[in-house]
Amino acid sequence: MTTSLIIDGLIYGLQLSLLAVGLTLIFGLGGVMNLAHGQFAVVAGITAALLMAAHVPVPLAAVLAILAAGLLGLIVDRSLMLAAYRRTGEQRLLFGLLMTLGLSFVIEGVLNYAFPETALSIEMPLPALDILGTTVRSASAVVALIAIVTLVALLVFLREAPLGQAIRCVIQSEVGAQLCGIDPSRLRTIIFVLGTLLAGLVGITQGLTASIDPNAGLQLTVFALIVATVGGVRSILGTMVAGLLLGIVHSFTSFYIGAYLTFIIFLVTAVATILVRPRGLLGNWT
Amino acid sequence: MSRGGSFRPYAPIVVVALLLALLPAVVGGSPFYLRLLTQMLVFMALTVAFNLIFGHTRQLFLCLGALAGTGAYVSVVLTMRLGLSPVLTIPAGMAASAVVGALFSYASVRRGLGLMFVGIVTLAFSLTFENLVLGLRDLTHGETGLVTTGLGLPVMEHRFGAYYVLLAALVLALIGYEALVRSRVGLAFRALSDDDLTAALAGVDVARYKMLAAALGSALLGATGALYAYYNGFISPSIFSLTAIDVVVLVMLLFGGLATLLGPVIGGAVFTVVNELVRPLGSLNVLVYGALMILLFVFREPLVAALTRVGRRTAAGVSPRDLAAGRSPREKVV
Repeated sequence: MTTSLIIDGLIYGLQLSLLAVGLTLIFGLGGVMNLAHGQFAVVAGITAALLMAAHVPVPLAAVLAILAAGLLGLIVDRSLMLAAYRRTGEQRLLFGLLMTLGLSFVIEGVLNYAFPETALSIEMPLPALDILGTTVRSASAVVALIAIVTLVALLVFLREAPLGQAIRCVIQSEVGAQLCGIDPSRLRTIIFVLGTLLAGLVGITQGLTASIDPNAGLQLTVFALIVATVGGVRSILGTMVAGLLLGIVHSFTSFYIGAYLTFIIFLVTAVATILVRPRGLLGNWT
Repeated sequence: MSRGGSFRPYAPIVVVALLLALLPAVVGGSPFYLRLLTQMLVFMALTVAFNLIFGHTRQLFLCLGALAGTGAYVSVVLTMRLGLSPVLTIPAGMAASAVVGALFSYASVRRGLGLMFVGIVTLAFSLTFENLVLGLRDLTHGETGLVTTGLGLPVMEHRFGAYYVLLAALVLALIGYEALVRSRVGLAFRALSDDDLTAALAGVDVARYKMLAAALGSALLGATGALYAYYNGFISPSIFSLTAIDVVVLVMLLFGGLATLLGPVIGGAVFTVVNELVRPLGSLNVLVYGALMILLFVFREPLVAALTRVGRRTAAGVSPRDLAAGRSPREKVV
């Protein structure tokens, strides 16, 4: 039982990490905490469900749905986020919070109105696997694989690729980056789209492991926000670790006591982190 | 600067109180409109509380519904379980909300980036509250909700009685608000809403005043939630959800004007009408409020400037000396 709870928790945690890393990157580059982040996952999930209903093959539907989330991200970045980036400091932070909260309600309203009955739930036609003596659904294994590959690729990209180094440079110091000839505004757009693509991917993986419906956005956003807070809003590795830890907490509390306890523990963890380690679990590591 | 002693700053509150007191007569006691007006008072009181927390000390609380619900559930559950009178349990509910609100404030103001963390933590509390109510089924009956009639507060079950009790609560809140803003505390609020650091350097204990605003505002949220619970005759988690309360109150305050006395009253009145208009849209009304939030914030500066001009003109007859002394340029609050 314990092993399978840990495996379930890790798989859920990997998805939380994917979602929260997007938040962290967007915040690190643009200084905007995206309160609509979970809604991008829902957009991808619902798009995939609609495409599958139109008999598009599952892999193609998934890819198109993730791209749809990224496209919406591009539009939002070029319109709302641009308005936020024109401001500085705390003004930008507040403006970003209220803007993205409004956006979150707009997306939720549209999806709830247009597709109230649509939910994504993908069946994987593969036999279950045997890992460490417990049976793991093949869908879960696929999700874990996708998430791990994506996270590792992301870390390698940020560490090795010139573009990734430029991104880390802006996260460290926007002025310093500009002095080195880096244009932060172009990178912001790239990262916002990348973050929403990651969110879109989580929309699909949620469809594989559980299901995702038009009301799922807020909870995904809040969990991702907490993971980002616990991991440290500027630390990518910390966010990944926090995602895995909280994922395991989630699977144990939900199993033994009830989902409501998960929320309380998550909230208390976030408050405690802010008080004790405001820079997050791993401090300033990037 | 004339602080205390003078009653003239309170003249707008008297006018508002008289106008609101006459409204039930205007609608001829029609139950439908009276219910609408009562809900309007509830939203106005919630917006006054949010104004104190967000308008004056820039703490973006995204758990207004949850704090109102905390007050309501604590009061109702204590009344039902212990057989206490609501007169005793409503203060208990207020205290519970105040403690929760002050805690979030404490957690976030101790560190930099307070604005963002308070938003994150309170948004998380919104969901936590909902799940807690659903999870503690024995006490709260989960989604089914609790029936609150016949618990020893008959005045709230009479439609005129409830209206005037809530009106009294709103007027008290407005008087308390105005007295606070005009006191030394108000000066501290003004200083820290302009700039935290400057205020701290001038000797203002920023963390203490932010917590004070959060506690007082949360207590008012809790009181309003509890009173509403006894008026409505029924509470369930969806009554206090983010989309039912927070979005509406945010839009009311952004529209009415941050850090103003009458902003919450004006915003509350306008958006009670709007709320009725968008109700038939069903789930689309969430979209309307989301879009309004974005639009109001983009166009907020010109709007507030216009409102301030109107406000100055009406206020000019009340107390020119205060204006000359510079009742804080409101545009700079956020």
